[in-house]
Formats: sequence, C-alpha cells, structure tokens
Amino acid sequence: MDTIVRIPAALRSLTAGADEVKAAGETIADVIEDLEKKHPGLRDRLLDEKGVRRFINIYVGEEDVRFTGGLKTEVKAGDQISIVPAIAGG
Amino acid sequence: MRNRLVLAGSRVLLVGIGGLGCPAALALARAGVGTIGIADDDIVETSNLHRQILFRDEDVGKLKVEAAASALLRLGLPDLRIERHLTRMLPHNAVELASRYDVIVEGSDNFPTKFLAADASRIAKKPIVHAAAVRWHGTALAVGPNGGPCYRCLFEDLPLGSAPSCADAGVVGPMVGVVAAVQADLALSVLHGDDVFGTLFTFDGKALASRRRVLPRRRGCPLCSDPRTIERIDPNRYAARHV
Repeated sequence: MDTIVRIPAALRSLTAGADEVKAAGETIADVIEDLEKKHPGLRDRLLDEKGVRRFINIYVGEEDVRFTGGLKTEVKAGDQISIVPAIAGG
Repeated sequence: MRNRLVLAGSRVLLVGIGGLGCPAALALARAGVGTIGIADDDIVETSNLHRQILFRDEDVGKLKVEAAASALLRLGLPDLRIERHLTRMLPHNAVELASRYDVIVEGSDNFPTKFLAADASRIAKKPIVHAAAVRWHGTALAVGPNGGPCYRCLFEDLPLGSAPSCADAGVVGPMVGVVAAVQADLALSVLHGDDVFGTLFTFDGKALASRRRVLPRRRGCPLCSDPRTIERIDPNRYAARHV
C-alpha cells in the first residue's frame, strides 16, 4: 500500500530531483524505512536516535505526526505525507 | 483611507534586510507603513544583488542599513520614516528592539536569530511574521503577541548541524520575492487587526505549489505553556550554537 511522500527541495538530491515519491508501510516508521531502501540517506536526514529530528516536521495530510503518535502514526494507501524542514535563509 | 491612516501610524521592524527584507520593505513602504525600522549590520556584496532588490551595483561595500534606507527614501513617500539600527538582533538588544514596534518582520539568515526573534517578540508581547527561503523552498508564519502556535511550536529549538542555510544551499532570486510578498501581506493583515496567526504557508518553487497548514500548539512549548519557561533572554540559549 503506497503513500505519496512530498519531498522538500532541500532533500531532492536524495530522490534524483523528484518532488514526490511513493513509499509503502502501515506506519510512518515503515514509510521512512521504505524511503531509505529506495533513496539511501533519507532516513538520517529525517531521524536521529530520539525519533523525528527536531527541525523536521512530518505531516500526514494536515496532521503533524508529533501529535498523532509519532513514528507509530498509522498511514493508509493514498495518504499524502509532507516533510517540512526548518530553513533559514533569504 | 482608514486603512492608510492606520498604516501611517504603524511601526514595523525588519530583522535582516536581505533577500526577504528588501522586497518586504518595498511592499510595506508602498502600502503606507509610516515607520520602518531596519536591524542589520551586514554590508552589500555582489552575490546579494540578484535577490536583494533594494541594492544597486554601486552599493556593494556599503552598509545594508544605509543602502536600504536610501533606496526606500528615494521612493519619495512623504510620510515614510526609516529607523536605522546598525546591529543584528542580539540577546542584549532583542526585547528592547521588539518592544518599540507594532510588528516584527523576521527574515534573517540564521537559526539563532530566528529563535531569538521569536523569544523576544513573545516576551515583548509583539506579533512577529517569520519567513525563510532556501533553494526553491519557502515558508512564512505569523505569530500573535500572546504566542501559540509559535515558531517553537513548529521547530522546538535550534538545529544542531545539518539544516541547510542560504550560505551553503543558495537561494533562487524570485523565490524570496514570492515569500517576502506573503510575509509583507501577513504583516499588513496583522496591522489591520486580522487574525492570520498560526498558519504555516509553504511554497515550492519547483512545483509552483503553495500550501497553508494550520499549526497545533506544541505541548510543553517553552513560549506557549502556562506558565511559559522562557521569560527572559538567556544569551547562552543562542550564542552557544551561533553560526
């Protein structure tokens, strides 16, 4: 069951420039593992030893996964997952 | 007309006059904001010119605060007043600076200043509009005078390391124009008394896609909890990881 993961510009070097990729899983943790298999290096950009890095926000639809169970947040086929990193620049 | 009168009496502080601050300043000045304060200690460099649209080739080497003030005053807006602050927003001046303005418009290029501006605005009970743009990704967020959801609800604390900045990732010139226009629009809305707080705007310049997302308050947020745990500016909170 594939979810659709929107990749921010800062991480597209790991997805060959793709702004949207598919990844399978029943939870956010599964989806990130699948992303890592398909696009090595992504997991480290999203997670540290404590979980989702504090300057990364991951949304399922409009919901921040920090408030819906973190990495255990369940997902279903067709869910839109967005990654919003903290950025400083201008 | 009533709106212009409101704006003529309003005071906006720009934290940083770079790729975001320049177009935001133009939009705010043209809209009729009466007083624009600019806090920046940087000088204009050639590499700035493609996106920092207040500056001309002959400004290279000049202080950004002075070059920007000159450019804004050249607009010939009779009621526009520019206040020059030849300094970054720093721990020792942040709350005092914020307290002198109605809205803080934060477009700085580093995380310590972003978190400092967030904290100082909350302590001074002033609304703040944050914005950032790196490569083709841009964000803007308005936070109310009483906080939450705030920048620390979105990003808990300073990143330790690998978040990209414009210095190492680059900024696409037109991107900052898009994001700064949204930032200025949010600031004007705040001055008009509209509740535009707590919604994160993101723009993807590659896909030309924008999105608005209502943020939740973060449980335990040091600025939004009652009582909040950040009640004063501790320089160590920013200086230790200053980049």
